[in-house]
Order: sequence, then structure tokens, then C-alpha cells
Amino acid sequence: MSERITKWPGVELSAADLSEGKVTQTRFRPNAKYAWSAGEAMSRFLAELQDGRLIARTCHSCKRTLFPPRMFCEECFRPTDTWTYIQDTGTIETFSVSYLDTDAKRIPDPILVGVISLDGASPKMGMMHYFGEMTKEEIRIGMRVKAVWKPWEERRGSVLDIKYFAPLPEGKK
Amino acid sequence: MTFLERTTDARKLRHWEGNMEADYIYTSGVAGERFFVALRDQGKMLASRCAACGLDYLPARLFCEDCFAELTEFVDVPQEGRVAALTVAHLDREGVRLSRPQVWAFVTFQGIRGGLVHRLLVPPGRARVGLAVRPKLKAREDRVGAITDIEGFEPVGS
Repeated sequence: MSERITKWPGVELSAADLSEGKVTQTRFRPNAKYAWSAGEAMSRFLAELQDGRLIARTCHSCKRTLFPPRMFCEECFRPTDTWTYIQDTGTIETFSVSYLDTDAKRIPDPILVGVISLDGASPKMGMMHYFGEMTKEEIRIGMRVKAVWKPWEERRGSVLDIKYFAPLPEGKK
Repeated sequence: MTFLERTTDARKLRHWEGNMEADYIYTSGVAGERFFVALRDQGKMLASRCAACGLDYLPARLFCEDCFAELTEFVDVPQEGRVAALTVAHLDREGVRLSRPQVWAFVTFQGIRGGLVHRLLVPPGRARVGLAVRPKLKAREDRVGAITDIEGFEPVGS
């Protein structure tokens, strides 16, 4: 605290004082419900994932194909125009070798995550995902990859309907 | 699709629903503790007194809002009060229609600054400003030291 103040004024209460009911108290849980929606574009995107497809939105003004899709073009400041399917192949734009899992717990075998520019979308547009079927020594920026989808019955309309992106051998589609 | 055509109901799109776990524990505070313990154990209401200003405060509080002095003296609130203002509620706090309307009143007491907002235990037709009322307490074993230890205010003589 400080030289002059060594103890705050007032009455200190411990968690036990409260749980044992040493002081009068009011307990309440407000009925604070919420509904969060993915929005027009992302809802269609998630639905298409369940069918094993990636969908984007095209803006007729700047001719860009926006992925992930959005209903408004931030460049032209106008609504986007059409739905466009893109490919599930792409190029590794950037990646990380992570020794922490999604709960920030240490793990001995690293997970590989990164951003993929997808074929069919405008340059530098794509998604972040896991990489598989490759080692941390093999992964590199510019590597060609392809989505590995979960079996149809396991898909839930989530980005995790894609298991990971695996290396795409040269010449293959 | 323009801004004016946008979807305003989240449930029409892919959505997630939840309930925020915003639980809280609210302690009564120093003066509130005196008030609620007296209500629970002795079945009476206390006001905090400022001798300098000649004021008795309800609900009881730690400081005089006129002179900022700390208040340590407590006095009994008269048994009988009067309805200063009232409202008839047709919906509960969740917005659900009540089977029977409830009357809520602000009750004041002679010589006391402040008052209490509580249920008025009369049918809406009988509720009026100026009605003489007294608190109806729960039985001693059911009292826990909360404002709900008072069931409501009932007309004097009923």
C-alpha cells in the first residue's frame, strides 16, 4: 500500500464469510439470455462447409472474390453481388509450430497452424486452419495444400468440418 | 441486399444461444447489516440517526447525506406508515403477464427521511395514496435477513 496507509478502512470479508452466511446478503443470477448469429454471409458459408464446399462473395465493382464471404465490400463501400464457389486447394501464406494446445497447455508434439490463400479467391484471401500429414521440418511458406474433409456424417457446419490441410503433390488438383 | 433489408432476427440465421452466468452476491454493508439483523432477529425496522442534523434515515445508511458524518446511532421506525406513491404491476420482472396484478408502493414513516418500496397487500381497487399501512413479517423461523422477510405492507386494522 503506502507509508501512510497500511490497512484499508472498511470491513474485509472472506469467501468463507459469505458462504457460511456470516453477513446478510442477496444472491441473484440475472436472466441474461443472448442469441448470437453468424450473419447472412457466414451462415451460408457454414452451411456450405457441411456439403464439403467453400463459398465466397464476388463484388462486381472491384472484381474481387471475398473469402470468407461478406455481404458488403469494404473497398467499394457497396453490397457484394454474387455467390461464388472456390477450390479447397491453396498455398500456405504463413504458419506457426505450436507447443501449446487450444487451452494453452504444453504439448510434446507440436500442432501446425497457419493461413492458407485459397485458389479461386482473390490474392491473400483464405482461412486459418491446421496442417497435417507433414512434419514441422517439411512445412514451408508457399507450400501447396488441399483440405482433408471429415466424413459427411461427422460434419456439423463448422470450420472443423475440414480436418486439416495436407500437402498437395505437384501437378495434382 | 441493402442495409434496410438486413436480417434483424438472429434466430433466422445460423446462431448460438446462451445464458450469461452473471451471478452476484450483494452484501448489505455496515448499516444494512444492522437493519437486516434487527429485522430478522427482532422483527423490527431500524433507521440510522444523525443527531447533528436531526434526521433519521430509512433505509439505514452509514453516512449522513446532509453533513457527511458517520452514523452509529439507530432508532426504531414507527410501526405504522403511509403509502406515498403506488403502481399496479401487470407483468413480472421477466415481462410475463401475472395471473393477478400486484400493487407496489413507496411507504413513508412520520419523522423518517426515505422509505421502503414493497408489495402492498391489497387488491388494486383498494390501493390508494395515503393509506395507513404496517409491515407484515414472515414467521421468525422463515426470516433470513433480507427485504423479503417482509411479505409486504397491509392496511392497519386488517
